[in-house]
Amino acid sequence: MAEDLVERALPLAPGPPGPPGTGRRRLGRLRSRAAPYVLVAPFFLLFGAFGLFPLAATAWTSLFRVELTAPEAREWVGLHNYARLLTDDFFWNALANTVLIGVLATVPQLLLALGAAHLLDARLRGRLFFRVAALAPYATSVAAATLVFALFYGRDQGMVNWAIGLVGLAPVDWQNGPWASKFAVASIVIWRWTGYNALIYLAAMQTIPHELYEAAALDGASRWRRFLHVTLPGLRPALAFTGLVSTIGALQLFGEPLLFSSGAGASGGADHQYQTLGLYLYEQGWVNLHLGRAAAIAWAMLLLLVVLFGAVRLARVARGRRARR
Amino acid sequence: MSGRARRGRDRGPDAGAEPYERGGWGTYLLLGLFTAVSVFPLLWTAVAASRTSGRLAQSPPPFRFGRNLGRNLSVAWDEGGMGEALANTAVVAGSVALGTVLFSTLAGFAFARLRFRFRGPLLLLVGATLLVPPQLGVVPLYLLIARLGWTDQLQSVVLPSLVSAFGVFYMRQHLLRALPPELLEAARMDGAGTLRVVWHLVLPAARPAMAVLGMLSFVAAWNDFFWPVLALTQTGNPTVQVALTGLGRGYVPDTSVVMAGALLGTLPLLVVLALFGRQIVGGVMRGAVKG
Amino acid sequence: MGRRNGTPRRTGARPRALALLLAAALLGGCADDPPVPPPAGSGETVDGAGRPVTLTVGVYGTFGLKEAGLYDTYMRLHPDVAVRQTSLARADVYYPQLLTHLTAGAGLADVQAVEVGNIAEVVDTQAGRLVDLAHAPGVEENAFLPWKWAQARTGDGRVLGLGTDIGPLAVCYRKDHFAAAGLPTDREEVGRLWAGEWRKYLETGRRFAARAPEGVAFTDSASGVMAAVISGARLRYYDAEGRLVVAANPAVRAAWDLGAAFAEHGLTARLQQFTPDWDQGFAHGRFASIACPAWMLGYIQDKGGPDGKGKWDVAKAPRPGNWGGSFLVVPAAGRHVEEAAELAAWLTAPAQQAVLFERRGSFPSAEAAFGLPQVRGARHPYFGDAPVGRIFSAAAMGVPVAPVGPKDGLVNTILSDTGMLQVDQTGRSPESAWRAAMKAIDNALDR
Repeated sequence: MAEDLVERALPLAPGPPGPPGTGRRRLGRLRSRAAPYVLVAPFFLLFGAFGLFPLAATAWTSLFRVELTAPEAREWVGLHNYARLLTDDFFWNALANTVLIGVLATVPQLLLALGAAHLLDARLRGRLFFRVAALAPYATSVAAATLVFALFYGRDQGMVNWAIGLVGLAPVDWQNGPWASKFAVASIVIWRWTGYNALIYLAAMQTIPHELYEAAALDGASRWRRFLHVTLPGLRPALAFTGLVSTIGALQLFGEPLLFSSGAGASGGADHQYQTLGLYLYEQGWVNLHLGRAAAIAWAMLLLLVVLFGAVRLARVARGRRARR
Repeated sequence: MSGRARRGRDRGPDAGAEPYERGGWGTYLLLGLFTAVSVFPLLWTAVAASRTSGRLAQSPPPFRFGRNLGRNLSVAWDEGGMGEALANTAVVAGSVALGTVLFSTLAGFAFARLRFRFRGPLLLLVGATLLVPPQLGVVPLYLLIARLGWTDQLQSVVLPSLVSAFGVFYMRQHLLRALPPELLEAARMDGAGTLRVVWHLVLPAARPAMAVLGMLSFVAAWNDFFWPVLALTQTGNPTVQVALTGLGRGYVPDTSVVMAGALLGTLPLLVVLALFGRQIVGGVMRGAVKG
Repeated sequence: MGRRNGTPRRTGARPRALALLLAAALLGGCADDPPVPPPAGSGETVDGAGRPVTLTVGVYGTFGLKEAGLYDTYMRLHPDVAVRQTSLARADVYYPQLLTHLTAGAGLADVQAVEVGNIAEVVDTQAGRLVDLAHAPGVEENAFLPWKWAQARTGDGRVLGLGTDIGPLAVCYRKDHFAAAGLPTDREEVGRLWAGEWRKYLETGRRFAARAPEGVAFTDSASGVMAAVISGARLRYYDAEGRLVVAANPAVRAAWDLGAAFAEHGLTARLQQFTPDWDQGFAHGRFASIACPAWMLGYIQDKGGPDGKGKWDVAKAPRPGNWGGSFLVVPAAGRHVEEAAELAAWLTAPAQQAVLFERRGSFPSAEAAFGLPQVRGARHPYFGDAPVGRIFSAAAMGVPVAPVGPKDGLVNTILSDTGMLQVDQTGRSPESAWRAAMKAIDNALDR
C-alpha cells in the first residue's frame, strides 16, 4: 500500500514503474545469480538490524511491564498496556493535540506553499534568490527554530505580544493558552516547511505545458481560473505527496513541543495542552521510566497511520468505482 | 507522471524553464513578504546572539545588533559544547549521506533492473516502513545500543539512519528512467560482470540522483532530532541538536548564549545554502525527503 | 541570475556532486576539534606504568565541586590522578541517562551525582550496580548527619551514596523592596515577621502587596512556597513503610493550600523556577522574597548579577526545612573503582564540604563540618554579609527527618509543574488543579 502511494505521489516520478512483466530483457542473467543479493545485502542487513528488529521488538516489549530502572526484569502483562491506553486520558489528550496541531500546521502550510509556488512560477528577476530564501527555514533545525520561536512567543517580553500590543490588543499567554499554545507550536512547523513544499509544487507546476494555459487564456479564463482549472489539476500527485509527508510528519511531531517551553519538558505544558503522542511516548519511557507502556504507545501510533491511510485509500477506491459507473 | 506532463516544459528545475505568467509588482510584493518571514527569525537569532540575556528580557525586543556576539559565541562554543557538537554533526551527517547514497543506489539498482526471488515482497516491505514513525523502534533500539555499549557513541546515530526506505525508492525510480535495459543487455553481451556493470553503467547513470539524495540525507541527518536526543548526551559526543537541546532546557547558560548556539548550529547549513543555492534548490525540486 | 536563459540545460551531475563534496569539506573544516573525540566514559589512561589515572565525575546543573576548586586540590594532593567533570544541565535529563548507563554498564563516569529525589529509587533498584561505600578508605559514618547517611543505605546495610550537601531553608529578601513597602529590613526583625508559621509569611505578603512598588511581587512563585512548606514536613510523599501517601497526607495538602493562597492573592510574580524568565526575575528584581535553600544562594548571586549585590539579605525561614541536596555514588562497572571511591570519600569529607559551603553556599551534610570556622563563621558578602553559617546551621539542626521514597523527584515535579503552576499562571482553581496533579501522579507512577 505504501509503495503504491509513494510511487503515485512522488512529484517527479518519471514514466511508468519498471517493466516487471515485460519478459524479454531479463536482467537476472547478469553473470552471477548471487549478484542481486549481494547488491541488496548491505541495505537489508541494516534494515533488519535497525528497521525490522526494533519494530518487532517494540511489539514484544509492549506486552511486558518493563521499567528503565531494570530493563532485564520484565513481567508479562499481555495486552494490558494497550487496554489501559483506551482509558488513559493523557493518551487521548495527546492524540487530540496531535491531530489539532497537525491540522493547524498542515493545512495553512500547504495552502501557503501553494500560493508561494504560484508566485514563484512567474517570470521574475532574482528568481533564484527567492527560491533559496524560501529554503532557509528548511535548513534550520527543529531545535534552533523552536528556541527562537519560544522567545518570540514569550508571555511578558516576547516579540509577538509586543507587536499585538502595538495594535492595541491584550497580550496572549502563548505557553498556557490551550489554543494559543497549539497555534504557536504549529506555527513553527509552518515556518519550517512552507518554502520546501512550495518548491515541490513549483517543480510540479513547471511540468504543466504552456499550451494548456494558452488554451485557457483563449477561452477567456482569468489568472485565478487558470490557476484553479489548469494548475491545480496538474499538481494532484504533488499535493498527494506533500499531504502524505506532512501527515506523517505531523503524527511524529516531537522536537517543537519538547523545546517550546524550557520549563515544561516532556509534559507539553502545565495542562499537557500541547503534548503530542511523540512527546507522551517520550515522557512515559524516559521520564516515568515505563518502557512497556511507551512501546504500546508507539504501536498505537503506527496503527493510527495505517487506519488513516487505509481510510484514504478506501475512499479513493470507492470514488473511483462511482466515477466508473 | 503522465506523458502529457513530459511533453511540457520539463527542462529541469534549476535550468531556465520559462513560466507562463509574468511577475507583476504584486507578485514581487508578496514574494518579498514571504521572503522576509522566511528569513527574519534567522536574522533575529543573530541579533539576539549579539545581545545580553538581560536586554532580551526587555520589551520592546531589540532589532539592532549589539556588541556581545563574540562573547556569546565563545561561551556557546566552549561551555555549551557547540564546537565539539559541530564536528560530531559533520561526521554524522557526512557518514549518513555517503552511506545512504551508497546502499540506496545498490539496492535501488537491484530493485529496478535485476530479477531475484522475493523482489516484489521485499520492495513492499521496504515501502511499508515509510509509514512507520521513527518513534516506533526507539525503545528496543535504545536497549540494543545500551547493551552494545554504544550510548554516547556516534555510530549509535549513524547506523540506524543509513536505513532509508525513501532512498531505495528514489534511486529505483531514477534508475528505471536513466538506465535503459538495452544498455545492460549490451554490457552483458560484452561479458561484463556485475561489478563492472555497477561501476561503469549504474553509478554514472545514478549520479545526479545520488547527489540529490546525498544532499537531502545530509540536511536530514544534520537536523535529526528525536533519536540523537535519546542516544547521545550533552557530555558524550553530542550532535548540534543534542547540544542545543541541552542549552535550551538548561538552567546554566543565558538566553543570548542559547541564541548564539542556535546560530552556530544553523550557520554551516545556511552558508552551504548560500553558496550552492542553485544546486540545492534543484535538488529539493527533484526529490523530496520527509523530515 | 534567474534569467540566464542561455544556461546549458544540464547544469549536470558533476558540478552538483562536486558541490556536495565541497560542502562536506567545508563543514568538516568548520570545527577545529578532532572529528571523533574519545568517549566520555571512564578514564582512558591506564594506570599500569605509573601513568596518571583519569577519574571522571558526572554531575548535573552547576554542582559546585569544580567551581569550588576541589578537583584542583585533589589533583595537587594526588599527582597520579587527574579529575575531569562532565555536567548535564538538567537533573530530569541527567537521571534517566544515568539509569540507562548503569543498566548498560557503559558510558558511566567513575563518580556520579544523585539528587535526593532519586536516591531512594537508586538504592532500591541499582544496588547491584553500585559500590558499597560504607567502609571505603576515608569514610566516617559519624561525620554525616545520621538521616543523610541512612537515606543511601540498603536494607542489608550497604551504603551506596555519600552525602554532599543538604538544603536547609531560609528566606532571601530584597531590602530595597521591603523598605519601599514599609516593611522592616533588618534580618532579625524580618525573621520575626513570620517566625514559627508559614501563614505569617502569607500575611507579610499581603501587607507588602498593599504598598508594593510598581511591578514587584512579594515572592517568585506559588510552587516555590509549596516546596518550602513541604520541606518542613515529617511525612511527605511516602510513609516509613514506603507507601505512597501524597494524596492522603494533610501536610502535603496544607502546603498546597498555602501555595495556592499566594497565587489567589496575587502575591507571586507567576514565574516558573529554573526557567530563563525566573532568571530574569532575579536580574530585574521582579519579586521581593523567595524561600531559599542554601544551595540557591549561589544561583541568586549568579542571576542577580552585580546590580543585586547588597540589596539581598537572608532571614530565618518560618519553620526549618530541608529542600534538596545530593549524593555521590560509585558505579561498580567503572575501571578505577577503588580510586573513585577514595575520591568520593574525600570530596564528601567534612573539610571539603566546608570549602564547598564557603565558596558556593551548598550546606554540608557532614555534621562534623558544622563546627568548622569556615561554616560557623561564614558570612555572605552578596547578601549584605548575612551570617549564613549561623542561619543555615540552626536551620539544619531543626530539620525534621522525613522518609524518602523512590519517586519523590517525579512527584515533586508534577505537584509543581503540572499542579501549582496552573493555579499560579492560568488561574485554575486549586481544587481542580489538585485533582489534575493527583491524576498525573497516578499515571506517572503507573498505579
